[in-house]
Amino acid sequence: MKKKIIASLLTAAMAVSLLAGCSKSNSSTEVSNDAQNTAQESAAEGDEAASETAVASGEAVTIKLFSNLPDRKNGQGLVEQMIIDEYMAENPNVTIEVEALDEEAYKTKFKAYAMDGMPDVVSIWGQPAFLDEVLDAGVLAELNEADYADYGFIAGSLEGFKKDGKLYGLPRNTDIMLIYYNQKMFDDNGWKVPATYDELMSLCADIKAAGITPIAMDGGDGWPMACFLTDILVRVAGTDYAEIVRNAVATGNFSAPEMQEATQILVDSAAAGMFQVGYDSQDYGTTMNLFTNGQAAMYCMGSWDCSMALNEDIAPEIRDNIRAFTMPVVDGGKAGTNDIAAWNGGGYAVSADSAVKEEAIRFLNYMYQPDKLSKYGWENGVGMSAQDQTAYLTGNETELQKQVMDILKNATSVSGTPINDCGPSAFKTAIESEIQGVSNGSTSVDDFLAAIGAACE
Amino acid sequence: MKKLYSNKLVIFSLVLPGVLVFLFAVLAPICLSVYYGFTDYTGMGEAHMVGWDNYVKLFHDSAFGRSLKNSLLLAVGFICIQHPLAIVVAAVLDKLQGKAEGVFRCIYFIPNVISVAVIAYLWKFIYNPDFGLLNNVLKVFGYQGKINWLSQQNAIWSVLVVLIWHGFGWGMLIYYTGIKNIDPVLYEAASIDGANWWTTFFRVTLPLMKPVIQINVTMAVISALKQMETVYLLTNGGPNNSTQFAANYLYQQAFKAFKYGYGNAIGVVFIIICILVTVALNHLFKDKQDV
Repeated sequence: MKKKIIASLLTAAMAVSLLAGCSKSNSSTEVSNDAQNTAQESAAEGDEAASETAVASGEAVTIKLFSNLPDRKNGQGLVEQMIIDEYMAENPNVTIEVEALDEEAYKTKFKAYAMDGMPDVVSIWGQPAFLDEVLDAGVLAELNEADYADYGFIAGSLEGFKKDGKLYGLPRNTDIMLIYYNQKMFDDNGWKVPATYDELMSLCADIKAAGITPIAMDGGDGWPMACFLTDILVRVAGTDYAEIVRNAVATGNFSAPEMQEATQILVDSAAAGMFQVGYDSQDYGTTMNLFTNGQAAMYCMGSWDCSMALNEDIAPEIRDNIRAFTMPVVDGGKAGTNDIAAWNGGGYAVSADSAVKEEAIRFLNYMYQPDKLSKYGWENGVGMSAQDQTAYLTGNETELQKQVMDILKNATSVSGTPINDCGPSAFKTAIESEIQGVSNGSTSVDDFLAAIGAACE
Repeated sequence: MKKLYSNKLVIFSLVLPGVLVFLFAVLAPICLSVYYGFTDYTGMGEAHMVGWDNYVKLFHDSAFGRSLKNSLLLAVGFICIQHPLAIVVAAVLDKLQGKAEGVFRCIYFIPNVISVAVIAYLWKFIYNPDFGLLNNVLKVFGYQGKINWLSQQNAIWSVLVVLIWHGFGWGMLIYYTGIKNIDPVLYEAASIDGANWWTTFFRVTLPLMKPVIQINVTMAVISALKQMETVYLLTNGGPNNSTQFAANYLYQQAFKAFKYGYGNAIGVVFIIICILVTVALNHLFKDKQDV
């Protein structure tokens, strides 16, 4: 008996050590940069370049930034790093330490930090699936909305970052769901940008017949496919989209005819071979590579990937020919061509318990000065900012940038938060997993809608 | 010295660190897990008691059922495929002698030395339908289609292959050490009696390996139950939970779905299952030993 007890206790120890291991299992990408070292050195030397901020009183300040942008050499991560470097150069006594993880790992560690002391400035998402629990826990500092009156934020873009009328974060981007395509490949094969969903289906059949993957879809992560479903639902339901989803999440009942129709369209599209073989298990990078290597004619992703057009790692014959269109209209759907799936998702906030809260807010405000995130973002082709960017048009924009700008300029309505981010995080986890099953045909549409409804309870 | 060891203070001071580690690193977390398992804690903010709700939900949760089924499948795979192969390979290695023995021993152990992250990504590329090694090899033999090795139907088998392959070297090495410890005189006697290789293997090697097999099988079953890293990196339980394992599901629920209370309930059930399996295995082997 004694032996059994000992064996049992040892097994229990093993199981618990596994649980304990979970919370610390993420390997993080600590971003080091020369500018940071330079700034530290110059601070030590007592650089004379005093700034008007209180930070520049000479006292060394370290601001910890926790970011969801691990690629510091391209796109949004590069823009963030440029601003950090500038801020440290202007404020030599300030050191900004960056810890960057990709999205999924970021969200996991964010929660661990929320339990045990957050970094000073953090990336956040102004969507219920992420922000509701975070704001309930009171880990983010309140910001003074009046301070941002002159920052040029697009009307309504701050709403997702508020609770009870108080502002807790600032949006970085206006994200638009796009279907990128390779124009040269289209021209060479005589393919045309589809005007309706039926045309998209027949275009995909033609592309497939030519031995090329029609649309590269990151189905392994679940959320891009949920954004794709959002896009179809917007085409079907038009401006009723937000109301339908809000009601469904509130009641746990997703049986609205629009939901069924949109899901059925997704199922039929996947069954017709619209996506690459194995799309439901492939990740972001693999999927993007299919498109940027010319193995796929189209690629479904948000406007944040517009930086592909400036990415030197992509072969010029593909990079220079990347164009985009929005989801074509669905026959009988309520949305017109210019009703688009777009939202203000990612952004930044300051930790409520930050020891350097004032300095952190000062840095946050610096990032959002109109000539920083917006301007650099535009110059680096990372898509549309949540602030007015018209002052920063250079005339040298890529064709892709111009297209995306026109799409937003001509939009008659925008959808708001994508469906997977409209409910609690348990709903998000459920829909991002269940959508793989329904799209590959192993779950029926009704079972899918019932399963995501159950996750809302 | 003997006097020193009979001093109760000395005994106490020697035992204390171990007891403290057990109390604070094992027992306390278990108690906390049991407590949080009865709450709706999201990992942030306040925790509210919800009674047995989490456990009731858990027993109706098809994804959890699926993950236990997958763990069982993996344990069967380990016992029925990995271990018989490992014993045979260990026996063959033992007979090889010379340089070849060392070289092959190293080769078989290589997958164990490589980091799990590398292994997972390596196989992710091997399985890729577009540019993966497997489909390209099939192309050489004339098959032009693209097999989706990680589809909802195939994924669990593909994951099992990786896990069985990855753990093979470790099992083999333990068996190999066990075989090396068998007295050569016994082989000599068997040889004089006219036993061939197979008879020697089944009548001498296997019976003497019983204790090693017991340890190895127990470890295999436990590792099947707690499987996490490879699955997390290879498929993350997908598509649609088809390759879900209990530990990965626990992680997803606790840290992705903000259901920390539910995650702890999974943890508690997981601990109970592990204990039951260990006790059952001990019983099984005890009976065998008695026979």
